[in-house]
Amino acid sequence: MKILVLNSGSSSVKFQIVETDLERMQAHQDETLAIGQVEKIGLSDSRLLLQVPGRSAYQDYREVLEHRAAIEWVLRVLVDPENGIISSTDEIGAVGHRVVHGGEAFASSVLMTPDVVSQIEECTVLAPLHNPANLRGYYAAHAILSEVPHVAVFDTAYHQTMPAHAFLYGIPFQFYTKHHLRRYGFHGTSHRFVSYRASQILGWERAEKRYITCHLGNGCSIAAIDRGRSIDTSMGFTPLEGLLMGTRSGDLDPAIIPWLMAMEEMTLHQVNTMLNKHSGLYGVSGVSSDMREVLKARDAGHQRADVAFRIFSYRIRKYIGAYTAAMGGVDAVVFTGGIGEHSPEVRAWALDGLGFMGLELDVDRNARVRGEEAEITTAESAVKALVVPTNEEWVIARDVIRVLNDIMPSFTPPETMT
Amino acid sequence: MTWELHNVSIIGAGMMGRSIATKVAQQGLNVCLKEISMERAEECRQTLETTLDHQIARFNITETEKKVILSRIHWVTQFDCAEECDLAIETVQEKFDLKRDIVQELDRRMPAEYPIVINTSTLSITEIAAASQNPGRVLGMHFLYPVTSTRVVEVVRGQLTKDVVYDRAVEFARLLDKVPIKVFEMPGFVTTRVVLPLVNEAMHVVMEGVASAAEVDLALKLGYDFRTGPLEWADRVGLDRVLNWIQHMFQETGEARFRPCPLLKRLVRAGLLGTKTGRGFFTYDVNRRRLDRLPDDRPGLA
Repeated sequence: MKILVLNSGSSSVKFQIVETDLERMQAHQDETLAIGQVEKIGLSDSRLLLQVPGRSAYQDYREVLEHRAAIEWVLRVLVDPENGIISSTDEIGAVGHRVVHGGEAFASSVLMTPDVVSQIEECTVLAPLHNPANLRGYYAAHAILSEVPHVAVFDTAYHQTMPAHAFLYGIPFQFYTKHHLRRYGFHGTSHRFVSYRASQILGWERAEKRYITCHLGNGCSIAAIDRGRSIDTSMGFTPLEGLLMGTRSGDLDPAIIPWLMAMEEMTLHQVNTMLNKHSGLYGVSGVSSDMREVLKARDAGHQRADVAFRIFSYRIRKYIGAYTAAMGGVDAVVFTGGIGEHSPEVRAWALDGLGFMGLELDVDRNARVRGEEAEITTAESAVKALVVPTNEEWVIARDVIRVLNDIMPSFTPPETMT
Repeated sequence: MTWELHNVSIIGAGMMGRSIATKVAQQGLNVCLKEISMERAEECRQTLETTLDHQIARFNITETEKKVILSRIHWVTQFDCAEECDLAIETVQEKFDLKRDIVQELDRRMPAEYPIVINTSTLSITEIAAASQNPGRVLGMHFLYPVTSTRVVEVVRGQLTKDVVYDRAVEFARLLDKVPIKVFEMPGFVTTRVVLPLVNEAMHVVMEGVASAAEVDLALKLGYDFRTGPLEWADRVGLDRVLNWIQHMFQETGEARFRPCPLLKRLVRAGLLGTKTGRGFFTYDVNRRRLDRLPDDRPGLA
């Protein structure tokens, strides 16, 4: 079945057409037929980009004022005899929507019924920037493709299996009951995909092993996957917690915030922007938010680039240690995301000195692996480390198939707090 | 034809014009910013860049946002830009003839119910509007200092302003991320009218030697949770402007509470105009940071 996968932002729509079904999923032979996006929605010079494997990229500009016009445009291009890949929109069997926040309401991917949509609306307070944009994409797509099923796949759902001692913060309990203030975690689709794929590569039964998955991209998070269930992850109430990221601070002493607001007379907006957009690799190094640039500067002897790199990698190592303890051991450590897949330096630093727990990096092998599925530990290493490129769109497409076939697993919480 | 807000023309690229242009561009709209000459436009563009750099340093925006903002602002010298715009706002000096002429120029080029916004705190919207062909599309907006961070704007309805136009201007205010306070035309509206007697009284207290300027400010700041004391506020606005406003209010209303404090007049005559000259009631460095704070007037954790 051809599935349209949509990831709608406030001024952009990213899309893929993925061909998949139960057999292809089993064989890991899903196929991406087209990748593209519409950027600058709301402006007079919106751009559509379409990449079809084996063809040169196609792009076009026009005025697109809202999401519906953007998706109509996408569909027109997809059925275009010259640049498209399908003969009619009837070929699209279903639509999968990435939805950032499912709160505590959603512990799996679901068919988007009116009830589900209104529950997603209710989660907006938890993700005021993302959920409204995701929903705008849904409303637009549903208006045009009203005959096919639409499925929501949440970034948070997979982490709903965290126990309360991992998801609750140590602040007065009333804020949890009043505002649902707790840790949710993000990148769930990615952590789920790469841990699953790692078990396939290693020929392991997934339900028997313990994984630590490191998603290191624009945003970075790490998860402890104990026998197929996420039991802890580094991002929390928002994607700001945990690892150092391109422009995000990750973990810090919360007392810093009121202290800085007082000392620097900063407003809430300034503190928020500072932590989300001026921190991380960029804020520490002063060079760039891009790890490749930071590494270049580090090689040239730039001291702050070096320390930014070290904070980044050290924190990963620290979390690996913590999650190993949390699971009473680990069987495989998986790296994914742009940095995780392409930076041997980060992987080497993050895994340095872990021989005590049975993880021995194959230094040469690690240095060669970039953007491909590969093991990076020695043959003797008791704990495996590997690189697995993520594919969140595939997960979304596969979940559409699972939901339609009624075999979607639910990541049910082990306990509820009242 | 349905009206939607996509293109905004701003006449005058002074501090106010640039601030509004920045906010409009940040919200994803296109701006035409008109100045009298390309030379003047270039000067203003450079000043805007410096301001945006300062905003980056203060963590208000990012480098990328700066680029996006600059790319959405188109610098022009002709009124032609108004033909394409959905709303026009003038931000030129507080001179009646100047504003009237601009409104007439804009009125000729824009569809009848597209709003023309006058940015004033003292001039009569109704009187300026009456000089145009479509007075019902003219209204006022009064932004408060500092424009970028103050969340409020007074949206001023003139005698002839049509409801449909007024509602569009309210939508514009929301787009700028400001809270619109709906007011009818009356000297000083709400904010200016209420704050000036307070500031004037604070100056009288200082002049009478009851307390020092620093202590008057600190008392109000801590006592009533003001972010800035009234005298520092006046310094930051510019004492010459404060004097103009209060004189105007005095002329319009004849009320004794708007009689300018002699100390204010004296400072203005001495050229001590506040932050922009480095000295007013207090002293400031070139970055407008106040140099003479009392030890108790420090941010700190209570």
